[in-house]
Amino acid sequence: MSPIDRRLIVSVNWPLLLLAAAVFAVGVLNLYSASGFRMGEEVSLQSFFNKQIIWGGCGLFAMLLVVLVDYKHLGNVAWPLFFVTLLLLILVLVAGRSVSGAKRWLEIGNFNFQPSELAKFAVLILGAKLLAKRSEKLGWFELFSVVGLGMIPALLVVVEPDLGTGLNILLLLGGLILYRGISGPVFKTLLVAVPVLLPCGWFVLKPYQKQRILTLLDPEKDPLGSGYHIIQSRIAIGSGQMWGKGFLEGTQSQLRYLPEKHTDFALAVFAEEWGFVGCIALLVLFCFFLLQIYATARTAKDRFGSYLAAGVFFYFFWQILINMGMVLGIMPVVGIPLPFISYGGSATIVNFCLVGIVVNVSMRRFVFKKT
Amino acid sequence: MRFDSETQHAPRSGLILLQVMVFGLFCLFTLRFWYLQVHKGEQFAQQALDNQMRQVLIDSARGRVWDRSGRPVAVSEPSFALGLVREDCDNVEATLAKVAEWTGADPAALMETYKRGKKRVKPFEPLTLVTDLSFEALARIEANDIFWPGLEIVVRQKRHYPEGTLMSHILGYVAEANEEELEKNHALSLGDSVGKQGLELTKEDWLRGAKGKKQVEVDALGRQHNEHVLVDPKAGNNIALSIDLDLQRLAAKLLEGQAGGIVVLEPDTGKLIALVSQPGYDNNLFVLGVPQDKWSELRDNPMHPIQNRTTQGLYPPGSVFKLLVAAAGLSEGFINYNDTVVCTGSYQLGNRDFHCWKKGGHGSVDLRRALVQSCDVYFYKLGERMGMDRIHAYAKSSGFGLPTGVDLPHEKAGLIPSREWKKKRFGEAWTRGETLNASIGQGFVLVSPLQVARYVGALLNGGKLIKPSLVLDEPPEIQGVLPLSSEHRNFLVETMVDTVEGGTARRLLRPDARIGGKTGTAQVIKLINADQRRKAADMPYKYRDHAWLASFGEKNGKRYVVIVLVEHGGHGGEVGAPIAKALFEYLLGPAPGKAVAQPEPVINQLEAGD
Repeated sequence: MSPIDRRLIVSVNWPLLLLAAAVFAVGVLNLYSASGFRMGEEVSLQSFFNKQIIWGGCGLFAMLLVVLVDYKHLGNVAWPLFFVTLLLLILVLVAGRSVSGAKRWLEIGNFNFQPSELAKFAVLILGAKLLAKRSEKLGWFELFSVVGLGMIPALLVVVEPDLGTGLNILLLLGGLILYRGISGPVFKTLLVAVPVLLPCGWFVLKPYQKQRILTLLDPEKDPLGSGYHIIQSRIAIGSGQMWGKGFLEGTQSQLRYLPEKHTDFALAVFAEEWGFVGCIALLVLFCFFLLQIYATARTAKDRFGSYLAAGVFFYFFWQILINMGMVLGIMPVVGIPLPFISYGGSATIVNFCLVGIVVNVSMRRFVFKKT
Repeated sequence: MRFDSETQHAPRSGLILLQVMVFGLFCLFTLRFWYLQVHKGEQFAQQALDNQMRQVLIDSARGRVWDRSGRPVAVSEPSFALGLVREDCDNVEATLAKVAEWTGADPAALMETYKRGKKRVKPFEPLTLVTDLSFEALARIEANDIFWPGLEIVVRQKRHYPEGTLMSHILGYVAEANEEELEKNHALSLGDSVGKQGLELTKEDWLRGAKGKKQVEVDALGRQHNEHVLVDPKAGNNIALSIDLDLQRLAAKLLEGQAGGIVVLEPDTGKLIALVSQPGYDNNLFVLGVPQDKWSELRDNPMHPIQNRTTQGLYPPGSVFKLLVAAAGLSEGFINYNDTVVCTGSYQLGNRDFHCWKKGGHGSVDLRRALVQSCDVYFYKLGERMGMDRIHAYAKSSGFGLPTGVDLPHEKAGLIPSREWKKKRFGEAWTRGETLNASIGQGFVLVSPLQVARYVGALLNGGKLIKPSLVLDEPPEIQGVLPLSSEHRNFLVETMVDTVEGGTARRLLRPDARIGGKTGTAQVIKLINADQRRKAADMPYKYRDHAWLASFGEKNGKRYVVIVLVEHGGHGGEVGAPIAKALFEYLLGPAPGKAVAQPEPVINQLEAGD
């Protein structure tokens, strides 16, 4: 029997794949525009566009690899993967390459590797494995043990420093916990405790992070300094109006007023050129994409599969929420990209691999139910 | 089977949570996109437009000025200035320090300029820091300014006056606009030049033109991409002067080393052909801001080089004024040509003697002789009969005591006294003796050479008071008509010709042209007796008399009025006449033969008197 029989292929969540491909295509198209900037009359291109296509290819290949192996084996490697990740995270702090003050990369020959990307998988798989063991709502002990385990890699990432990824890991885990549900008394206690403890977090933040939050509240205070991103981004988005300025016609991005336009602020380029109509279309694509992951989580053949899919759901959900919120000026500036739309090699590969995990879960939902 | 698997493994509450989250996400961002793009879209679209478009002014070229045959006397040359675009500059202090190092400018002064400019210049426009860069500084800056974002070399216009001092009283100068001028005229921007003196000031609007505007598409790094002109700059208009540069040069040379003024004018058009005031100053000095020491030197110079003596210099007219008093007497009917007066050398009023310049007296004189010989007693008597108020009114209607309206700034009106004036000015009653003094152009009477020129011109041109004009193609502006019949006018002109042929202005005589003149010797101080007046050369400079010569020359239908004033020059006939003679040689061609025009080395008293 071939490793993948017909049955498996039929069960693949094709709409999810299609939607992921569609969003990625939008991202690449948008990157083409974001990479072009006017020099005199000509439009010259930077290499981001080409590179992103290559990364997309790599991502699809990586996804294929993820799909081939039954996801139940992931549960088996959950603990070893977790420990290897911790080791690499410590290593990067000791021997990592420093880029503009942040130690995030491990140099292996010519290849730069971010252990924090691996940490996402490690926490997703281990979290799903632990939480899927039982079905009743979480009590105090289980809550603390799961959160405690997730905190270790998350904190290691935060001190790199990479607040965005660290936050992403914790939120993913938090989402999984909510997905399973917290028992009544614990939930009530947290409902009171979290709002009380949250302001304490203020004192842990670095000055530039505090500044970002203050800037969100009043960007006009420092229009050329910390408020610049927010103001220019809002101008770009708003000036798109109902129908947009048209592809390659966005003046804010083409004239380089827009900062980080190919990475974190890529959505602003899109919004400027495609307008309200385009933005809603993209938002709808994202929502359907999330709903397809939801569908897989709902129909998975076991709890582990369901939790894996739910974890991926949260991973994408938080990124979409935080990035869009930031670009639209309702959340502080945190370095979290928009899935498939922002440029980024490792992010693209990770995104496709996570889609692969969901596809893996979806295609094997009937495997043990052969008649 | 399938139905079972759907509900068995996924937590129900968790699934609901996911659906709610997707729904919430959709609603939240739909609202936000709506708010930014539709509700506030127009406002942001405008902001995006402002972001990318800068309006930049385009300098207009200031009009040029030529003399009547097209020789340039005021031109604009390109000069290089250093500007700073504040928006693109990230460290102003370091940049200014660097600029000071390159140009040798004082860092404190640069900071001052910067602070001043900040209030006026938009952050994305170049704020002029240093004007007129030397070529060394320019090279140094061009080699380095890529390391100093915001610095920009701006090509500006710089005014240059090829003739310098020769034309400075006419042209004046331009200089950087000061705070007050910037405030008054919003078309000016910091570092712009504006007319400060002379024609540059009075013809400012004509010469300046209007700045253009262009819209430049700029990116966030300050780089300019497309630009398109919104409003073309309108170059300033040029001016062709009526001044003849050669004559002007000659006149200046004739006055060289002395203080005084020369006016040469076409009586029929009011065009000024030469207007010289000596000593002068080089107006090029002012264009870039005159250094303090040079400025104090000019300002404190006892010879007042900045003053234009033809329009701002006021002098008692002396006997030249008799041309006016005679006109007043004739047209008001106080005298006839044939009425005679016996001059005994002095005229007694109350217990005071008013002397004639000729100690022995002129004997019996009629009006013609009184003018030709310049008999004072005749005019004392005439003045006494007319009274000051009549003389005052007549002089005013003949254009004295009022500015001529020439296109030069700060022209002085002069003074024709009246009883009312004295009451107001000194709180004292007018005395009859003062009327006698005024009748011979002494006392309070003050006129400018240009007023005399306009008056003499009016005698020749049929009585029209024409505004003296410096602009070649300006149509003559008739300001008024002399209250004098043509018969009386012709009589006065004839007596001027007689004065040249046999009177105090004999030096001007030449056979090929009709020349008329009237000399004047204006006392600066009251003299104790008439004898002292003769010894001008022995007196201290500042007490010496002013020498006047009012003259005209006519040949082949061309007529010119020539007025010469030499401050503290002494005798009008001795000092003024040779200068006027030389000018007529230029205007009417060299006089044929030498004998006639050659003045005698020593003039006898009769001829030399005024």
